[in-house]
Amino acid sequence: MKGISLLLLTALIFTSCRSLPVINPVLPPAGMKEVVCPAPFLKESVRLIHAIEFRLAGENRGAVIGITVADPATRSVSCAIMTVEGLVLFEAESFPSLKVKRALAPFNTEDFARNMINDIRLIFFTPEGDIQERGTLSDGAHTCRWREKGGARIDVVARQPAGIEINKYKECGYRQRRIRLNGPEGNIYQRIELAAEETFNYSLLMTLIEAVPLAGEQNREKTGNAK
Amino acid sequence: MLAVLLPYGAWGDDFARVRRDAAELKTVQARFVQKKQMKILAKPRVAEGRFFYAAPDSFRWEYLKPLKAIIISSRGETRRYIMSGGNMIEDKSGSVQAMRLVLSEIANWMSGRFDRNPSFKAVFKEGKDTLITLIPVEGNMAGMIARIEISVAGKSMAVKSVRIIESEDSLTMIDFSNVELNKSINESLFQDVE
Repeated sequence: MKGISLLLLTALIFTSCRSLPVINPVLPPAGMKEVVCPAPFLKESVRLIHAIEFRLAGENRGAVIGITVADPATRSVSCAIMTVEGLVLFEAESFPSLKVKRALAPFNTEDFARNMINDIRLIFFTPEGDIQERGTLSDGAHTCRWREKGGARIDVVARQPAGIEINKYKECGYRQRRIRLNGPEGNIYQRIELAAEETFNYSLLMTLIEAVPLAGEQNREKTGNAK
Repeated sequence: MLAVLLPYGAWGDDFARVRRDAAELKTVQARFVQKKQMKILAKPRVAEGRFFYAAPDSFRWEYLKPLKAIIISSRGETRRYIMSGGNMIEDKSGSVQAMRLVLSEIANWMSGRFDRNPSFKAVFKEGKDTLITLIPVEGNMAGMIARIEISVAGKSMAVKSVRIIESEDSLTMIDFSNVELNKSINESLFQDVE
């Protein structure tokens, strides 16, 4: 009986909900209808190559190269992970449905593919759903809070000069992801930090190697095809 | 000349000759340019570095740009380091093991041991340069690599280029240049990062 009570108590501790950071409403600047939300998200299709250092449970584990092709119009993502030496460890695309093209252990689980695509969308795409709150946090940082269909909340926080933070909370208030974009102005994806709070916590430090807008490439392909 | 696909046991004479020629190879040092082609990349991603090998199985595979990274292997121990925050830190990810398999193979090839790894079936094609194609049989490499093509300089039997074909969409080409054979290499290069 004592054991069961302890188990229930433990379960309660881990499942009890937390309150989200309080957003204090602010009046929009004169001449504006509402406070403008931070928008560090892609506006056009792009290919990004990052060096990614990853840590598992706080321990430095290694580095890989990440290739991301993301189109905000369709919210489609293609991505690959390879070693610095060029060995492809993982490749997947999200459109029209999730398709894993290659996955070597330990990247060969469906959860990994889904989480990776979701992480990429969280970093690069405007959240889906409606803006629920706009205002400032207790430290004065401008914040907008989106509520997704499933109930998750996404806070996009502008902190100067630290950069922009994207926090994703589960329905009951647990923070699942914290993303910090602190590249220089005009190159927001230069340095991305992602911390995931899951069964096994992990964190990524992504340093941009190359960013290529794809509009030009697509136009060239169309021109080439027309010839 | 026609490539003949036979179990490598049938190529005993060829491999014996290659091994004999390569047996005189004590050290190799070279520059390399690596080009990675993938469908997701519009143009090949190019990396450059240098390579050191000392018989029988020590090697240092060092990327100089665009990212600095080093794999060193000596006496059966392989370590990989990457540049992070201005320092070289040891990489403890599982991918080191995958790369150890590939790079250990390159070390084997450098000394003419193309038929040493039972994970591969070897195909031998003689010409101005010798082309050796390694096709994975069932095992660790199957599913990871479709085939490896190694071009070996006619007389010296030193590896000139390597093409690692992972799939229809993914290919890695490594071209060696400034190759220096049997020149003294400091042992510390296979032990220390700096």
